[in-house]
Amino acid sequence: MNLLVVGCSHHQASVSMREQLAFSHSQIGPFLDLFYDRYPDSEAVLLSTCNRTEFYAAASKPELIPSRSEMVELLANQSGLLQSELDAGIFSFTDRGAVKHLFSVAASLDSMVIGETQILAQVKRAYQLAVEKNEAMPVSHQAFQAAIRVARRVSNETSIHANRVSVPSVAICSLAKQIFERLNNKKILVIGAGEMAEESLTYILSEGGRDIVIANRTFESSQDLAKRCNGRVARWEDLEEELTQADLIVSTTGSTEPVVTGEIFQRIETKRNQNPMFILDLAVPRDFDENIGDYPNVYLYSLDDVQKQCLRNQKTRESQFPEALRIIEQETELFFADQRRRSSGTAIAMLKQKATETKEAELTRLMNRLEGVSTEHRLEIEKSFHRLVNKILHPPLESLQDDTAKGSKHGLLDAIKKLFQLGE
Amino acid sequence: MLALEISRIFFAAKYRPVIRFGFAVAGLFAHSVYMVWQRKLELGSDGIWLNSWFGWCLTTAWIIGAAYLWISIRKPMSMMGLFLLPVLLTLIWTGQFLGNEDPFLDSRAKSIWGMIHGISLSLGTAVIALGFVFGIVYLVHAKRLKNKKLASNYFRLPSLEWLQRSCESSIIISTLFFASGFLSGIALNVANQAIQSSELKGTISWADPVVWSSGVLFLWLLAISVFSAFYQPARQGRKVAYLVVTSFIFFAIELMIVFLANHAVHAVPAAMLFEYSSVPATLEMMR
Repeated sequence: MNLLVVGCSHHQASVSMREQLAFSHSQIGPFLDLFYDRYPDSEAVLLSTCNRTEFYAAASKPELIPSRSEMVELLANQSGLLQSELDAGIFSFTDRGAVKHLFSVAASLDSMVIGETQILAQVKRAYQLAVEKNEAMPVSHQAFQAAIRVARRVSNETSIHANRVSVPSVAICSLAKQIFERLNNKKILVIGAGEMAEESLTYILSEGGRDIVIANRTFESSQDLAKRCNGRVARWEDLEEELTQADLIVSTTGSTEPVVTGEIFQRIETKRNQNPMFILDLAVPRDFDENIGDYPNVYLYSLDDVQKQCLRNQKTRESQFPEALRIIEQETELFFADQRRRSSGTAIAMLKQKATETKEAELTRLMNRLEGVSTEHRLEIEKSFHRLVNKILHPPLESLQDDTAKGSKHGLLDAIKKLFQLGE
Repeated sequence: MLALEISRIFFAAKYRPVIRFGFAVAGLFAHSVYMVWQRKLELGSDGIWLNSWFGWCLTTAWIIGAAYLWISIRKPMSMMGLFLLPVLLTLIWTGQFLGNEDPFLDSRAKSIWGMIHGISLSLGTAVIALGFVFGIVYLVHAKRLKNKKLASNYFRLPSLEWLQRSCESSIIISTLFFASGFLSGIALNVANQAIQSSELKGTISWADPVVWSSGVLFLWLLAISVFSAFYQPARQGRKVAYLVVTSFIFFAIELMIVFLANHAVHAVPAAMLFEYSSVPATLEMMR
């Protein structure tokens, strides 16, 4: 396997460096073109996400693959960074290390949030883009197809993806779903129109929320958000009325004073008929008076409460890390065993073919020299030649297969290739 | 099954859902086979399950077992079995404890009113027992959420909304079954009085503890159903859970009264037979 990866990720590179090295979707194609201009016999895949930029190069022969410094130079030219600057903050892996790294990345073990599911889609997209530029990528094809399969295996055999870890996703998909069976028949009130509100709405929509009302002090800023989620905008003055009707409330304002005090809630409580109400107060400082949670059928969760759950889920994911790592190790081993099998398989086929050709040639020569050989004797001679060739080839082939299975570093394979002049 | 359910609290296992489902199906099948076997071998081919305490408990347990299987399919992640199976096992143990030596009077059990009476009460019992479980689970789950207990990876319960709806349905459906049981009990008694030319023909022995307690239980269920229909807060959240749990406790007391009143069954003259015709008590009347 001739594979090299150079890149940077959140593990060792600063945000500014990652920003400079990041590639937009439209930049990847021209960059790959540039690569193929210089290295037409190689293969390249570029993976660029907000947390990492990784540049994979592969080739069928070691001498065809660009060196680390050549790849760093390409990246430096693209990013505008000095090569020396890049060298300090960049990692590189070759062959086995590169494959193992790719498997870890695809299985989300190398992600900032372990177990996040986006990375596999990003790996697939990067590979797809590379295939669009160069359809014939035998080495990369094997490595990336295996990486996708390994990521799925990790996902199936561990619960590394099982628990959500971001605040809005835990709040909506985990906590709200413990109270409400479904959200498509619930009145959902979002107070505030900031980033957290927007992210929460993504999960509300994914869980089927339809009846959405956005209330914000600035009417205009909530209009855009309401439009995107097919919701409606409520005037700030109507907040009490909206609170009375809401089942699920997500509050994310930047207010320094509580938006809903105990007195306000006391007024709406009498009109609510004690309907179950789930309040997610994701604002800091809090938008809801904490005593509101004491009302019957009112479940009030603050950012801290949700974060505790996130932390626990994160720990659960991390507890799956050793098992996921074991799978990566095992799959890397299997991948290289398969590579060796393929490699020795070719050599064995070539050796057998060469022996057969020699045998046929010798048989023909012998038969031409012998006259009056009966068909019966001719068949016996042919069988004898066949047995002879098989008996001679059997020990070296068996040794080669053993060597391959044990994972020796091609020593015997190379020796056989040289001994029998099999070529590459 | 219960051990499997308990193990779910502590660890995840890949093939446990399949094993659990397989055991549930096998258990219900074995239960059904046993009921058929008991009918054929112990009671004769014309016997019925509902004509003894044992058979009655067994039938009710079968309904709860079927409900457990249904919930396992509908809510595979939730741990309802942890709450349902003890009720199911308690019913079987209760049936065994009460025994089936004194089957209810055969001729009554086989009358149309007797059948309606027995089936209605059995279904009513199963539904109120299910409601009790839903109510308890609701209270446990609501308390956990109120106290912001971190959600366990393994101990999962259905949503409060689903539990609340199930409690509500349990109250309404059990009221209907108990109403059917109560009214068919009266009809059965009237029919029997007519046959036996009793002096008390057409009267109801309200002084009998079984009769009045059955009446009180029925009125309670009717009252909370009507109250919940017209007063929304009564069917919201913990209130509906408390109502269904209280109803079950009333029902358990009623069952105890029926069992204790049982002692007089054989000594009672034919004219007094109505006393056995009230809610589950009517089961006794079949003796």
